[in-house]
Amino acid sequence: MQVAEHNMDSQASSALLQQVRERFAGKILAEQSTCDGIPTVWVDRADAKALLRYLHEETTPHFEMLFDLTAIDERVRVHRDGQPASEFTVVYHLMSFSGNCDVRVKVPLQDADLQLPTVIELWPNANWYERETWDMFGIKFEGHPNLYRIVLPPTWKGHALRKEHPARATEMEPFSLSDEQEAIEQEALLFKPEEWGMKRQSDNSEFMFLNLGPNHPSVHGAFRIALQLDGEILVDAVPDIGYHHRGAEKMGERQSWHTYIPYTDRIDYLGGVMNNLPYVMAVEKMAGIEVPARAKTIRVMLAEMFRICSHLLFYGTFAQDVGQLSPIFYMFVERERIFNIIESICGARMHPGWFRIGGVAQDLPAGWDKRIKELLEFMPPRLDEYDRMVMDNGIVKRRTQGVGSYNTNEALDWGVTGAGLRATGLEWDFRKQRPYSGYENFEFDVPIAVNGDCYDRCAVRVEEMRQSLRIIKQCMENMPAGEVKSDHPLTTPPRRKEGLHDIETLINHFLSVSWGPVVPPEEVTMSIEATKGINSYYLVSDGSTTSYRTRIRTPSFAHLQMIPEISRGFMVPDLIAIIASIDFVMADVDR
Amino acid sequence: MNWQLQSVDEATSPQPGGSEVDDFIRRNVMMVKLEDMVSWGRKNSIWPFNFGLSCCYVEMATAFTSRHDLARFGSEVIRGTPRQADMIVIAGTVFRKMAPVVRLLYDQLLEPKWVISMGSCANSGGMYDIYSVVQGVDKFLPVDVYVSGCPPRPEALLQGLILLQEQIGRERRPLSWVINEQGIIQKEATPVQRDTRRADRIAATELRSPDDT
Repeated sequence: MQVAEHNMDSQASSALLQQVRERFAGKILAEQSTCDGIPTVWVDRADAKALLRYLHEETTPHFEMLFDLTAIDERVRVHRDGQPASEFTVVYHLMSFSGNCDVRVKVPLQDADLQLPTVIELWPNANWYERETWDMFGIKFEGHPNLYRIVLPPTWKGHALRKEHPARATEMEPFSLSDEQEAIEQEALLFKPEEWGMKRQSDNSEFMFLNLGPNHPSVHGAFRIALQLDGEILVDAVPDIGYHHRGAEKMGERQSWHTYIPYTDRIDYLGGVMNNLPYVMAVEKMAGIEVPARAKTIRVMLAEMFRICSHLLFYGTFAQDVGQLSPIFYMFVERERIFNIIESICGARMHPGWFRIGGVAQDLPAGWDKRIKELLEFMPPRLDEYDRMVMDNGIVKRRTQGVGSYNTNEALDWGVTGAGLRATGLEWDFRKQRPYSGYENFEFDVPIAVNGDCYDRCAVRVEEMRQSLRIIKQCMENMPAGEVKSDHPLTTPPRRKEGLHDIETLINHFLSVSWGPVVPPEEVTMSIEATKGINSYYLVSDGSTTSYRTRIRTPSFAHLQMIPEISRGFMVPDLIAIIASIDFVMADVDR
Repeated sequence: MNWQLQSVDEATSPQPGGSEVDDFIRRNVMMVKLEDMVSWGRKNSIWPFNFGLSCCYVEMATAFTSRHDLARFGSEVIRGTPRQADMIVIAGTVFRKMAPVVRLLYDQLLEPKWVISMGSCANSGGMYDIYSVVQGVDKFLPVDVYVSGCPPRPEALLQGLILLQEQIGRERRPLSWVINEQGIIQKEATPVQRDTRRADRIAATELRSPDDT
């Protein structure tokens, strides 16, 4: 099996840098090279917006999507060779779909003066990313219409991802909830329409404000959305998130590279080991580990099984939310059967945490192929049956067709990836466009749809399950022989074969197991086509046993932000169909 | 309280030599103390509140659906409002932003009410010793049963539910409204499973190899 991973075409990236250099001569503070090959340009905040506008509108290729926006607290970072002086760095990660390439723009800021202009008018999805950066770092974005806390409670003191903020709950005052405190917190959570520029009445009617969530059967977890209603018609909506913030990014600064793996499982908790993949790939990239072909294929096979599991849950709850109660009872049977297989391979159901830096935890158990064969036999007829039950159902069609639709440009503006993007007709799958972990060796199609409505988003996912089965079949038939873990010394835990013969290997083993591996100072972004869209890990290593900064870009965060945009003018039941069709989990939103 | 079930094949007509009246009474009349009867009913019809926080909720939903089928234990009636439910399963991580909401929902459950804490996060914060997570829901709610696991298997939740049912079955509550002290009689505390099953667990000397399916 050949090893070919997508690295940004060096020619394309130098052509892009050339354009930037010409236009912004003398204004570029530095060009940084990172091991993922994504061109990274440092620019002063006075020029930042002009550069971002230039990249968005004028360069070839254009950067249609603000893929990610975050910051790094650089104050205690040691390895910053060649980077401009900065205490807080704001990082813009842009993505071009026309040119299939990325660029990173970094803006240095000093702690005493943490502000820079907003970019909402370039990319509307910057809104939430900027609020998050304010919430986590205290960086102000001038011109932002509602720069409120988004993730932490409104009563919170401090900014969690600053290095001086405590990480552990046990370092802070023990939590207690007195009646007075509860009243204060509840008061702070009260939705105030005026804060969001909403009127309480129009010329001919008074609006009703309806609070949906944070606990509601159809919001799939702890998610709240405040609705402004004119009768039954939705005038506007304000999603409120942060009820599921588990501090996964701060956790990365404390756990060793190896012991962070289980935390990644719980990001998109329906994706299981698929979440491990971008993380371990990112660490492997920094450490320079080449993963054996067998491990890569095992990873693909398990990731695709989890994709089916996740899509089945989506399929069932989608049908349930639009009023069909039985499909979910059938689909959970299939899900259980797949979990049985996963359990026999990994030893756990939902969160196996089974991938390792440099490979996977164990080889496949004897008889695995028999169980996969069973899966390949029982699934397809069941999927056909579900098509008849759900997709051909007239009520489901009427509830979802033409509801919550958006086109490709809107999707790119709002940072939508995954099935939601493909449902608009853009054939863009990370596994095809930038193959990783050996996806270039598999034959599969990228299902698309045309209308971009709720029904199409579901239809795309249904077809993706069939494609996943195709991939699993190819994995089964062509499983390469060989090792499941790399021989590289930073592989964790390292193979013990030579450990009893030479002291060097034994020392490596001991250190990797007790302290964890020391990853060389680097920066890297690794992305995958996860169950819900593009999931990406941006890791900054400062040459130690833990990550200096772990940034997790999750698809659901971007998707939720779009809800008001696509649900205006519909009725409340349509909103439920829209929420169901997005397929999000709150852990994937708030992390 | 005793009762017996009769299989369908069993003759329902009176047997020769037997007393027809006795048989009829045995099948249709049950003598029982009212408070035992109420507690039996309470035990076998726990209505859970449809409430979930994170990953554990998915396993909880798995327990509701066909393979595990919570209906076998009389708990399939999931209520969307706390005012109609008896029991809340704290399924998932309890976040500081969510804590006041959880408390409000708990307060809205009608008495008598019970709490199952499902999964490591709800039990103790688990692997999330982090600024935004409450280190265990028992910091602000009384918990009746803790189910361990991350997330617990659906079977574990079922076991937790059975333990709760047994505990409720042992409880005696006043039959009418009571002011001040509720007069709840807890006959004996539910034993800690770690202690009761320790001997069995230590006795296991051979574990299945992970090398085959």
